Amino acid sequence: MKTRRSTKIIIYLFLLLYSITTLFPFLWMVAASFKTSGAIFEIPPKLIPDLLFKEGMWSNYIEVLTEHNFLKYLGNSLFISTVASLGQLLTCSLAAFAFARMEFKGKNIIFAVLIAMMMIPVEVTIIPEFLMFSSINWLNTYLPLIVPSLLVGSFGTFMLREFYQSIPSSLVDAAIMDGAKPFQIYRRIFLPLSKAPLATLFIIAFMNNWNDILRPVLYINSPEKRTVTLGLTEFQSLYSTDWNLLLTASVIAIIPMIIIFIVAQKYIIEGMVNSGIKG
Amino acid sequence: MQYFKKSAYLFLLPTIIGLLLFRLIPVIFAFFTSFTDWDIYSPPVWIGLENYTRIFQSGEFWQILRNTLLFTAIYTVGVCIIGLFFAMLLNQRLKGIKFFRSLFFLPVITSIVAVGIIWNWILSPQNGILNILLDKIFNLQEPISWLGDPDYALIALALVYIWKSVGYQMLIFLAGLQNIPTELQEAAQMDGANKWKVFTKVTLPLLTPTIFFVLVITIIESFHTFGITHSMTQGGPYNATNTLSYFIYQNAFVHFNMGYASSLSFVLFILILVITWINFLYRKKWVNY
Repeated sequence: MKTRRSTKIIIYLFLLLYSITTLFPFLWMVAASFKTSGAIFEIPPKLIPDLLFKEGMWSNYIEVLTEHNFLKYLGNSLFISTVASLGQLLTCSLAAFAFARMEFKGKNIIFAVLIAMMMIPVEVTIIPEFLMFSSINWLNTYLPLIVPSLLVGSFGTFMLREFYQSIPSSLVDAAIMDGAKPFQIYRRIFLPLSKAPLATLFIIAFMNNWNDILRPVLYINSPEKRTVTLGLTEFQSLYSTDWNLLLTASVIAIIPMIIIFIVAQKYIIEGMVNSGIKG
Repeated sequence: MQYFKKSAYLFLLPTIIGLLLFRLIPVIFAFFTSFTDWDIYSPPVWIGLENYTRIFQSGEFWQILRNTLLFTAIYTVGVCIIGLFFAMLLNQRLKGIKFFRSLFFLPVITSIVAVGIIWNWILSPQNGILNILLDKIFNLQEPISWLGDPDYALIALALVYIWKSVGYQMLIFLAGLQNIPTELQEAAQMDGANKWKVFTKVTLPLLTPTIFFVLVITIIESFHTFGITHSMTQGGPYNATNTLSYFIYQNAFVHFNMGYASSLSFVLFILILVITWINFLYRKKWVNY
């Protein structure tokens, strides 16, 4: 569709206005990571940090990464989130395929239970879950952080099901006539066609795992096994908060998410180009 | 399609195992807990329906329920409209659009701690940016304490929640929009339909499955408020921003009333269930497949 010049200007205007609100807090956080702790809450706030291009500019970063062991935490979080999210993509896409394209007994009931379980607040299930994991000696391992999130992706299953239902049945019928097995249809038709929703789901799943705080708090005791979010709590104690270190660590915690987002976005665009067959 | 029946269960196996172990069994456990008085340290005592009668007789609960429903209304409407609007803009093939897409997603990935700090300061009555801006435009008599005044606190908090999470819905809308082949829209335009007609007659109907999905997800999500409430208002002032899920957290992990917290969560669960059920009931009326 061609877009007129005046419409373009209006679109850019809206985009710019809104991006100010999304960018500003982020910039403030980045600026704070180059400030001494006293300079962060100066009024009026200065956008130019007091340590910028001076000696000790990276001192907050060095302190967070080495003294507070954030390099290790980054590795831990990266491992947990990647395994859990990739696993979730597999579980969800398999289940979504069955829900969208297959007939079997109990289909509606299983789907209803899946959706209903999405509505239970996590505070309810976390206590029994904790008792269960402690009885099988999974405490202080990564398994409680990975396995539940890998196996239950109500949200992802629901989302992919909606996409799979919109894939034209003519494509599937043709493959069935050629004698394709269900798994082949899933693997060769549905997976390649759903790159965009899969990439979207990966971002969301990765983010949820990355930002999860409740489970790491409950399950991880050893300092060397901490995740990034757990590490963030190191800077807050009952009596004081090291704001400059906390905000520096928050910036570090966001960087992998930004990289994932930029990489996954490529597939979202690619998905757009490939999905021209729909309709 | 009736072609393959049995293999469906193989596809569903991981999901079914996960559902049983990590959802159904814990939920049944919690269901029994809701009929007990339990502070974690001593064994639970069976008290029948007492927790439930206590809930419905307390004025606090009804106030929090009202807050919760109001929050859900503001949040859902805000997120859906803003999300769809900006997804439409982000779906244009313009220069730098990828850059904007990343920018709009920033709040979603920013840590809640940082979001709490910065919004507390934006909304603050002393030197808060919002008050300074409003004063420049409208000449305020006195600065508004957005989070301290019970009349404004819930709305202000809902706006922060919308700001934080709308990028997520925007992304889902965008994925849905990109699944709509542009040929259809171009064909409609060739036939003389103007942009508004193309949007209402072609784009919107084809987007209804995505809109339905976002609506269901967003409503459910709106009932699970925790992080921002915890870092900004902790339910105050005078419970003005307390919602059911945060109230459950307070009862379970601050006061250690596990039984009462469990019964509250079942009330919340029934509430969400009924609303989602209504959503699915009316789906056929407006969603195109």
